[in-house]
Amino acid sequence: MEPPPPRTPQDQAPHTHPQPSIAIPTTGTCCKCGGATTFAPPPQTPTSWPDLSSPPTYRPIRAPAINLPPNNTQAIILAPVPQSQKVPIIDPPFRFQVPTKKITCPDDIRKFHDSPTSKNFLGFIVALSESIRGHKISDPCHESPIISKIVSIIETLSLWIDQIPPVQQSSRYGNISYRTWHERLTENAESLMLQFLSDDLKPSTIEIVPYFSDSFGNSSRIDYGTGHETNFAAWLYCLARMGIIKEEDYQAVVARVFVKYLDLMRKLQLVYSLEPAGSHGVWGLDDYHFLPFIFGSSQLIDHKYMKPKSIHNEDILENFSSEYMYLSCIGFIKKVKKGLFAEHSPLLDDISGVPNWNKVNSGLLKMYKAEVLEKVPIMQHFLFGWLLKWE
Amino acid sequence: MSDLDRQIEQLKKCEPLKESEVKALCLKAMEILVEESNVQRVDAPVTICGDIHGQFYDMKELFKVGGDCPKTNYLFLGDFVDRGFYSVETFLLLLALKVRYPDRITLIRGNHESRQITQVYGFYDECLRKYGSVNVWRYCTDIFDYLSLSALIENKIFSVHGGLSPAISTLDQIRTIDRKQEVPHDGAMCDLLWSDPEDIVDGWGLSPRGAGFLFGGSVVTSFNHTNNIDYICRAHQLVMEGYKWMFNNQIVTVWSAPNYCYRCGNVAAILELDENLNKQFRVFDAAPQESRGTPAKKPAPDYFL
Repeated sequence: MEPPPPRTPQDQAPHTHPQPSIAIPTTGTCCKCGGATTFAPPPQTPTSWPDLSSPPTYRPIRAPAINLPPNNTQAIILAPVPQSQKVPIIDPPFRFQVPTKKITCPDDIRKFHDSPTSKNFLGFIVALSESIRGHKISDPCHESPIISKIVSIIETLSLWIDQIPPVQQSSRYGNISYRTWHERLTENAESLMLQFLSDDLKPSTIEIVPYFSDSFGNSSRIDYGTGHETNFAAWLYCLARMGIIKEEDYQAVVARVFVKYLDLMRKLQLVYSLEPAGSHGVWGLDDYHFLPFIFGSSQLIDHKYMKPKSIHNEDILENFSSEYMYLSCIGFIKKVKKGLFAEHSPLLDDISGVPNWNKVNSGLLKMYKAEVLEKVPIMQHFLFGWLLKWE
Repeated sequence: MSDLDRQIEQLKKCEPLKESEVKALCLKAMEILVEESNVQRVDAPVTICGDIHGQFYDMKELFKVGGDCPKTNYLFLGDFVDRGFYSVETFLLLLALKVRYPDRITLIRGNHESRQITQVYGFYDECLRKYGSVNVWRYCTDIFDYLSLSALIENKIFSVHGGLSPAISTLDQIRTIDRKQEVPHDGAMCDLLWSDPEDIVDGWGLSPRGAGFLFGGSVVTSFNHTNNIDYICRAHQLVMEGYKWMFNNQIVTVWSAPNYCYRCGNVAAILELDENLNKQFRVFDAAPQESRGTPAKKPAPDYFL
């Protein structure tokens, strides 16, 4: 099940049916200097669509493409790798507000893309990625009380899954018991936040609860995707903006909190058979996730013997999945998907040919920016408030 | 052997056509499709197939179970592309068969046969990845606009990808739609491709998909009565058992993509109707690993250069 992409605005240039020019010039033009050539150009086949039959009125109502042309290799290669940024901490007076959706069309995306908010949010993700660079999950790291608090909240959510077993149902893939779980989440989200918010920050629940509640999938569609995962990152970003999560906590945010979140999401995906939301099918990186590939590739940068191609080594997957997120993601895909890896996960298969993890990590960051944060169908659901400003 | 026959043989081996061949094929297909009605008449016997979603080797299983075209007369209910690895090869094979045997295969439009949807669910990425340009995507999505919206088998079985629309009570109303356009966001044409039958709904309900409607048993009863049809045959929803009757056998869902998205573990089905419209469902599994070709290795996407 999937929602359709948003409407394209009506003022957009209408798509015109391809009509190759049938005007044949009398002389050719030199492709170097633009001057006339002595030879006539080869006769063009005068096939144009309308010539073959007279098609009925073609009435296009949508723009042809969202991000055309994306095949600008040069632009992608030259695009800078997103850099880490410090998150500015808010000062009183606090003006928390209920966050709302702002993005409806490509113009909004361009505006978001150019805004300090977007750069800072992505910079936060890069900073998280750098914090785990070269580290195993179990490596000792600074763990402040807030980290254990968030971990225990996620454990609570996981416990609810055990208390709300999937119902026996036929035909349908997504299990409707997920809706009961999600209802409990939304009912309790505020009180869960209040467990760790200091008094002066308690009013922030109106702003941060919506991000949190949207971090675990959509209850009416029973699906989950990178948009929901991005909401979880946005929730963490809000905590960083309020100074609840500090830079010294970042490694634990990835190695403790995010790892726990990933465990929870996999449990939800398996127990309630969540459908992939807005998946590119086999042409996406993964049906559900993106960030663990970013953090996971960072963990493996400069690793002595594990290379991107090591994902094809079953022994490595088995022995190191518990310590390296990228490998656990590959292992999970191989567990839940049947068939050839190159067929159901061609992108990951192709990435395994990249020479080193540094390239994988920077490529994934560029890709996350372009394929998640700059995609209308995903970002149309994204929320903006006072902590994460629409500006 | 004609060019077209050679291309069909090539596509049956899961080898895609050249860009110029795709363009020529689409031009020919357009001439055929443009003549078809929004409610295309289909004669029995016929075999009805649901969503395929680029699962080429599973579609080959389908043809093994159902017989080859043109020996078997086929009706495909849309959603040929997106999600799977082989949308290009899948759609082009069906289109080539349509051009070669126009009276032995009917293709109608699914909600994924759309420019906007294919940019989100994989077909666009696939064309770009396999051809290095979006031209093939353009040719294919342009031909999508010409696909018929529904079919009527022996005046008794109405077939459509999604379901019914509150804007439509008679087949004649479907016939008046100007279908040669991108799938709209609302209205009759959109609903036919997007709607779902739903047990808990009486009358019409909001669809969680964000397009089309949910419709209940009374809606189906009234539509079937008004149009003097026996039942509706549709696709659009994964059914773990491959097919599913609802509302006292007034509507059936047929799903033809086994182990959907390589993970769902479902079986697939096709519905065979003989000349007297007797029904026989044939259920099949995903093609075994050894019969699937190995995809060609490609360099990593440009992000990683």
